[in-house]
Amino acid sequence: MKVQVVENVLKLNDEVAKWNRQMLADHEVACIDLIGSPGCGKTTMLERTLQALNDEMKIAVLTGDLATTRDAERLSPFADQVTQINTGKSCHLDANQVRQGMESFDLNEVDLLIVENVGNLICPVGFDLGQGAKVGMFSVTEGDDKPAKHPYVILESDIVLLNKTDLLPYVPFDLDRFRADLGSVRGDVALLAMSAISGEGIAAWVDWLREFVTGVVKARLAANCSPV
Amino acid sequence: MHEMSVVESLVDQVRAHVPDGSEVIEIHLEVGALEHLDADIMQLAWESYILDSELAGAALIIERVPMGVRCGVCGQDYEPEDMACLICPNCGDVRPEVYRGKGIVLQCIEIEDGRPSTATMSEGKA
Repeated sequence: MKVQVVENVLKLNDEVAKWNRQMLADHEVACIDLIGSPGCGKTTMLERTLQALNDEMKIAVLTGDLATTRDAERLSPFADQVTQINTGKSCHLDANQVRQGMESFDLNEVDLLIVENVGNLICPVGFDLGQGAKVGMFSVTEGDDKPAKHPYVILESDIVLLNKTDLLPYVPFDLDRFRADLGSVRGDVALLAMSAISGEGIAAWVDWLREFVTGVVKARLAANCSPV
Repeated sequence: MHEMSVVESLVDQVRAHVPDGSEVIEIHLEVGALEHLDADIMQLAWESYILDSELAGAALIIERVPMGVRCGVCGQDYEPEDMACLICPNCGDVRPEVYRGKGIVLQCIEIEDGRPSTATMSEGKA
């Protein structure tokens, strides 16, 4: 006998993600999911970002890693609230881990929640966490072929960051080829080249974040003021 | 390597739909081409997970769903051969809207129990 089901296997994750999204909206919190390979510079970039934005908005960070609390220790001096999630053997964060992490925060005291996903360009992409935007991050030391090898993260990202541009003179990385491959997946995706070490491009990234947070607040106000 | 997470969710889902005491013969799963799920690793994860359980011996049948894209500029539907080259064959722009090829969907479960089941749901798309 055949039992027809036709049901998303990640249905439970998606339901929790929906709950997360509602919780964030209720508290007027903007949320990004930062996805990138191990070592692409996510945490260093966040150190810079938090330093730049700390005086103007309240930021909480959920940082995911298989083990250690080192990223949380690095980010704690720069953020109001930081929680480390250790996933053990899991190569991505799921919505329930984010829900549990959110419970450690006072969301009334948060304007922006940054989720630093486990370093991985593959597995995190398909898991909705409840975020408002996904940020895909690459670095020049990974090679210029990453957009061609990882189109899904490009398709899902609201903005793409290319880090470690200060190392361009020292590594075989063809920026034109990277741009061309990116453009073959999506012609309209925003690309920001940056170096978290030298600071190049950080201001443009911080501007993007400001606009994203402002956009979330405006959308919330518009929803509250919609005509009856 | 998120195959094990997916298999864990799948096993819970199968158990929720199978009447008590039924023998599960086959599981039919649709996997979108974009999902980065390796069929061999899925099989291995499935067999490992159900070993020594009431589902032991159940076969996992995986159907890969190709990517389907609608051009965001001219509206042309196309199936790209290369998932990293999504240039519209009609207008040459690259504003892909993926309408097929994402998601992991449990389609149906073949069981041996001698009694009918009315379990039917409809949602999700691969």
